[in-house]
Order: sequence, then C-alpha cells, then structure tokens
Amino acid sequence: MGTRDDLKEMARGFRWGRRPLVPKSAEPFEQPREDAVFPSDWARTDAGVAARQLILNGPMNAILHNELSLRVYGREHLEGVEGPVIFFSNHSSHLDATLIMTSLPDRWQAKTAVGAARDYFFDVWWRQAFTALVYGAFPIDRGRGGSGATDKALELLNDGWSIVVFPEGTRSADGHVQRFRHGTARLCLEAGVGAAPIAIIGGFQAMPKGRFWPKAGRLPVTVRYGEVLYPEEGETHQELTRRMSQGVAELFDEHRTTWWEALRRRERGETPSLAPPMGPDWRRKWEGSRPVPRRGPARAWE
Amino acid sequence: MPRPGFVLEVDERTPPLLVHEGESFRMQRFPVGTRVVYPPDSLPGIRDVPTAVRHALLNPVDMEPLTALLTPGMKLTIAVDDISIPLPPMVLPDIRQRILEQVIELAASKGVDDLEIIVATALHRRMTSAEIRRMVGERVFRSFWPKDLYNFDAEDPDALTHVGKTDEGEDVEISKRAAESDLVVYVNVNLVAMDGGHKSVAIGLASYKSLRHHHNVHTMLHSRSYMDPRPGKSAIADSATRMGRMLRDAGVKIFQIETTMNADTFPENLGFLNKREWEWSAFDQGLMMASKKANDMAPPRIRREFFRRIEAPYKLTGVNAGEVEAVHERTLTNLHRQQLVEVGGQSDVVIFGLPYIGPYNVNSIMNPILVHCLGLGYLFNMYRNKPLVKKGGVVIMYHPVPWEFHQIHHPSYIDFFEEVLRETTDPKTIETKFEERYAKDPWYTHLYRTSHAYHGVHPFYMWYWGAHGRDHAGDVILVGGEPKSVARLGYRTAGSLRDAIEMATDTVGPSPTMTYFHAPPIMIADVR
Repeated sequence: MGTRDDLKEMARGFRWGRRPLVPKSAEPFEQPREDAVFPSDWARTDAGVAARQLILNGPMNAILHNELSLRVYGREHLEGVEGPVIFFSNHSSHLDATLIMTSLPDRWQAKTAVGAARDYFFDVWWRQAFTALVYGAFPIDRGRGGSGATDKALELLNDGWSIVVFPEGTRSADGHVQRFRHGTARLCLEAGVGAAPIAIIGGFQAMPKGRFWPKAGRLPVTVRYGEVLYPEEGETHQELTRRMSQGVAELFDEHRTTWWEALRRRERGETPSLAPPMGPDWRRKWEGSRPVPRRGPARAWE
Repeated sequence: MPRPGFVLEVDERTPPLLVHEGESFRMQRFPVGTRVVYPPDSLPGIRDVPTAVRHALLNPVDMEPLTALLTPGMKLTIAVDDISIPLPPMVLPDIRQRILEQVIELAASKGVDDLEIIVATALHRRMTSAEIRRMVGERVFRSFWPKDLYNFDAEDPDALTHVGKTDEGEDVEISKRAAESDLVVYVNVNLVAMDGGHKSVAIGLASYKSLRHHHNVHTMLHSRSYMDPRPGKSAIADSATRMGRMLRDAGVKIFQIETTMNADTFPENLGFLNKREWEWSAFDQGLMMASKKANDMAPPRIRREFFRRIEAPYKLTGVNAGEVEAVHERTLTNLHRQQLVEVGGQSDVVIFGLPYIGPYNVNSIMNPILVHCLGLGYLFNMYRNKPLVKKGGVVIMYHPVPWEFHQIHHPSYIDFFEEVLRETTDPKTIETKFEERYAKDPWYTHLYRTSHAYHGVHPFYMWYWGAHGRDHAGDVILVGGEPKSVARLGYRTAGSLRDAIEMATDTVGPSPTMTYFHAPPIMIADVR
C-alpha cells in the first residue's frame, strides 16, 4: 500500500475529524446513574402540557398533513374508556410517536407521555429537552430489562398518565412488524391498565429508518386505533403479549380488506400473521418496502 | 490501579490494530468478531530499587541472610543470566548490575577473596566483552574481567563436573566451579514464567550431557505448556526441578535472587507500541505513521540498527532472594500479576505478530529457525491450561522470514537449515538422525568455545521448542513470509490476512473463530 492508501486507512479506522469511538467490548463498565438523565418531569406540568399541545396541534400537525397523505381511523374505540391506558403500536419510523400524539383526541393527548429509548433520545441535553417538550417523553432502558427499566413508566401510570410504547423495542429495519417483547404486557399486568392497539400503515414507506424527514410525494399513511385490551384474570404476560400482537395484526388485516372480513377471519382464527416472509434478507426488505397503494382514483398523470 | 489484561471483540468501531512483523509493523483490520487478547497495563515499578535489593538480600526466604552466608576464605561464585533476557535489553543500569554491586559489596565487607562471576550461557553464544560490560556495569567489569568474570563453557572438560544422576537417571553435569563453591549466588531476570527456579543453575550452568535429558522432543511434547511450571504440567520444568533438588542434596548451596519486571517494553518514542489502539492520541497515530514510513524506506542495515538500539524502560516490580523453590513461587506470583490474562475458551485460528527480537537474536539476525521458535515455541506456549487454538486449528503468524543468517552467531543453524530441514521437518526424525552429529561436531564446538557461536546442537533445540505447537496445530501460515524459506520450514505463505484466513478454511472450515494475541508486551493467556 502506498502512503495515500495508508493515510486513507488510518483516517477511516481512527475516524479522523469525527468523534473517536471505543470498541464496545472495551468500554469501561459504568453503573448507569439516574441523575445523568435530563429531568423530564417539567414537561408534564400544566405549562408543559399546554406548550406541547400547542406544538403538536400547530406546527407538527401542519407538517404531517403537508408531507403525508394522512388518515386516522378508529378513535371512537377510545370513547368511554377511562384512563390510563398503554397505547402500543408497530414501530417502523420516527414518525410513529408524532403520528400517535397528533392523532390522539384532546382528552388523551393532554395526559399521554411517550416512552423513549434512554440510549438514543436521552444522550445529549438538547435532544432530551426536545423529546420531553414535544412528546412528554420519559426514558426507557431498552437494553437493561428488569424492573428498573420501567420504573418511570409505572410511576406515570399510577399518576394517571397514559403512555405510548413500542413493544418491538426498536424501529423495524425492513418494514415488517418484529416480535413483541414482553415488557409492555408486564407493565399492563403490574399497573392493571388496558392496552390500546394502534396500527401504523405506510410509516416505513414514508420515512424508513435512516431518514429524518418524510419522502417527497405525500405518501399515504394510515393510523388505526383498535379496541382496548384488558388483562384477564390469571393471564400471563406471554398470553397478553400474544393478544397484543394479534390486536395489531387484526388492524392491519382490517386495513388490507374490510372491517367485516377481518372480523370474520378473527373469529375463524385466520388473521394473517405479521411475521415477515421466509427467505433471505433482501426478500423481507423487498416486501416491506412495497409501496402502499394510494386511496381514491388514480391521479391523471399516473 | 493499572488495568488488567482483557479480551477485545472486534466490532465496527475497532480501528486497525498494530501487528508486529519482524523489523517492521503494520496496521491490520481484523474481521468483526475476532477476539484480541491484550496484556495488562504496566504495573508501577519499585521506586527505591537499591533499598529493595538490599532488603531482599538481608531478609531472604527460607534461608539465612546473605551477610551470614558470606565468610572469610570461602569460595563464592556468582552466576548471572545472559543476554537472552530481558527483551529488548533494558535501559541502563541493568538490574543485574544493581544486584551484583550489592552482593559484591557485601562479599568485600565480609572478607571474601575467592569470588568468580560466571555468565550462565549454557549452550548459548558467548557474550562479547562489550555486552558483558553493558550488563554488569563498568565497575564490576573493570574489577573482574576477564579472569574472574567470564562466559560459562559447556565444552571445557576441566571446567565441568558430573554431580550425579536424578531418580529418573538424568545426568547432572554442571560448572565445576559452581559445584565446588561454598555458595552459589544466582542473579536472575524473570521475563517469562519458564525462567528462574531450578532452571537457573541446573540448566544455565549445565553441559550438553545434562541438557539432552530435557531438551528433547519427548519432553517438549509433554510440556503443556513450558510456560506453566506447575508440577505435572511441564515435563521440562519437572526435569529441571529433579536436577535442582539433586544438586541441593549433593550439597550445592544456592542463594537465588530473582527479579520481575513490569510491561514497559518500548521506550517513550515508540510509546504507541505499549498502548491499546483506540487510546492512541493524534500524536501517537502520527508517530506510528512516521515511524513506519521511515522504517519501510530505510535500508535494511539502518532498519536493523534502529531496532537493535531499542532499550526497554523496564521497571522492577519485585525482587526476592533465598531458597530456590520458595523464591521462585513468589516470583511467579509477581509475574502473573503482570502477565496473566484470562481468556474464555479456544478458537479455530490464532494469530501472532512476531516481533523483531527473540532470546537468541539479540544484536543478531532472526533467521527462519528462530522465527519458528519464536512463533510456535514461545508465543504459542504463552498459555496456561490449554492453548489459545483448538487441536488441529490454524496458527497464522506475521513475519517476512528472510533467508538470512548471522554467520558468526548461528553457523550450525545455516547447515541445519540447508541440510537437515531439506530432508525432513519432523522433530523426532531430526533428533534421531542428526542431533548427535551436530552436537559433537568439532568445528561447531570450536566456534562455540572460541568465537561467539551458538552450540552445534542449538538449532535442534530451537526446532524441538516448537514441536508441541507444530504437533498441536493443523496448519501454520506465515503472512508476508518469503515463500522459499517458509516452505523449507514446512509452512505455507499468504500475501495478506484475508488470504491466510481463506487458506485456513481448508483446515478448520468456513467462518472460523479467531484470536489475535496482541503481544508484545509479553503476557500469558489463562485459557479457561
């Protein structure tokens, strides 16, 4: 290798001009400190709530409707429901939390906070502040597991706050719904609250992982709310997780066909699974990124 | 507190890692998932070395203080380790000088007149007067050289004595002067776990007749590893222990002084060689690139001279004196504190970067046989419990393996390479067919005794040294090695690590697990 190649290799390997990184296995072990997290309780005060609703219903809503062709269905399922509940949905885009928060009825919006990954959204002060202000967010330790990870969520539920969580733990890389983890179901059982399924269809196509602004072309995105699922007597967290996953799958089925057909299939136990197709990676990504058809008559130039 | 050694798992964040390859080094990207074993950080050195040495001499383990052992009119012999340790040679003053001066001072004050200092070379080459002067210091050198300070001669029948045989029938023939002395003081530097203990006198001052009992293929194949001198683990250590105890029972009184060093292997101007790569500052990175570039562009002679001049700023981490076994136990504890790294399990492939220096090419040339010895003899054996690589796995080493020999230091190596290895590389066959002839060849013996040549049998020992590694590994691949000399060794050459891994898959199958042993600094992998 010549000097030029050596330099290039060094520049790439040692990340010249960028923040140097320590290999993961060489990172010093540190006990996570609670006080290292930017406080977010202020965002759930009256003033914080007012500011958030102003942002969500003002600029956020305008941006979403400007950039996306957005439809919201099923909010009537929340009528008559006493809070708090845990809203959960499939997760394939940074749009998801915004879509849910802007589409929630006012009564719920004012008293709902989003669970956000501590390692991603609570790493630097400005991101913490933004996440807390716009989403009323609180940190969840997704890698840690155990009771400590959900302490704050439990505290909020006990205070009467509803929360939004994504049981998949992270955004889908291929648009397909991943396996639901059990944390959300455990939380439901522990707090004795219901779980409201939400299906977000088209989020991946509009703004997949790696993008920070929706794709051009006002791509269609649909948010569907389902009936609140309540833990049953003696139900285990595994069983509840299965029902939750089924709840989202039914909403996808309803979107694909009709409410009536989806209902019939549910009764027959034939709701199509959300599992990605078998085979190599590319096949999953290919299927996951298949464009969602536009609603209504085709545009004149299509 | 210095950090212990650890095992890194290469991920996307891992920068290219430094790999030694003879008189050069390279930055190598390793496949994601490769384990990299790093030595512990250097321990702090003892601040007041003279006081520590004096304390050890006056408060020995399981023995009377040295002052009580020294009496007027006694016959005192001091033996010192030779130039093969430490590596690289340490910055002055050498620890041996510091110890010698205190021992001699005490001897003088106690009225000892009959004092001789022997450099315990065994079958190694005689050290030159300049090398000895550097090691023992000007004051000792001027007082004793050449009459009372000299290299051991294992081929001088008048200077040897057959002390007896061990229970296993092993001959113990050592320096007559040492055997007949009222006290032998041995000054040791313990660089690796194999050094010191009974090996000092029973091997360092022994003749071929004695050494052949443990420096042979059978012993090597039953030493797992010879860097693990616990009883039953190393046949060579067990043999040395039997001989040492035989000497003790025969009345040879040994006052053993052992020292251990920290891991400061490279000087400040090459400080990046002592650090973990992701901790390199911009200066370290620049320094590495500049050193490498200058080194690659330099003519071979300048390059060799540059490396030859490297002096290790080793600091003393422990000095113990007294009865051989008790002292050695403490030395090993100290050594393990600096060198032991726990590693979880073996892998299919192990990778070594061979540095420019080994015990037998100080101020000399690392010839292909020494490359074999350094890789499969020394680095491969730097383990406890089990080797880093699975039985039948692949050893990948980096070294250019030039077909080059030091004409003065390694004459028998040249013939060994040309004659013996041309015919066979099997250690057992070599031992049976050729060893005796080389060991007793009058020309090699003459060069060993009068010039600065390694003994005629020494290349055989180097070959046996790697016998266990050779037997254990399914394949050995040298990255960047000269194909002709590598083929003579019976190994294969690869142009790059990628090629070497590709070749290794023939032996260990696709997607092998890999471990890169990031030495020097020296360490011992405690493989669980």
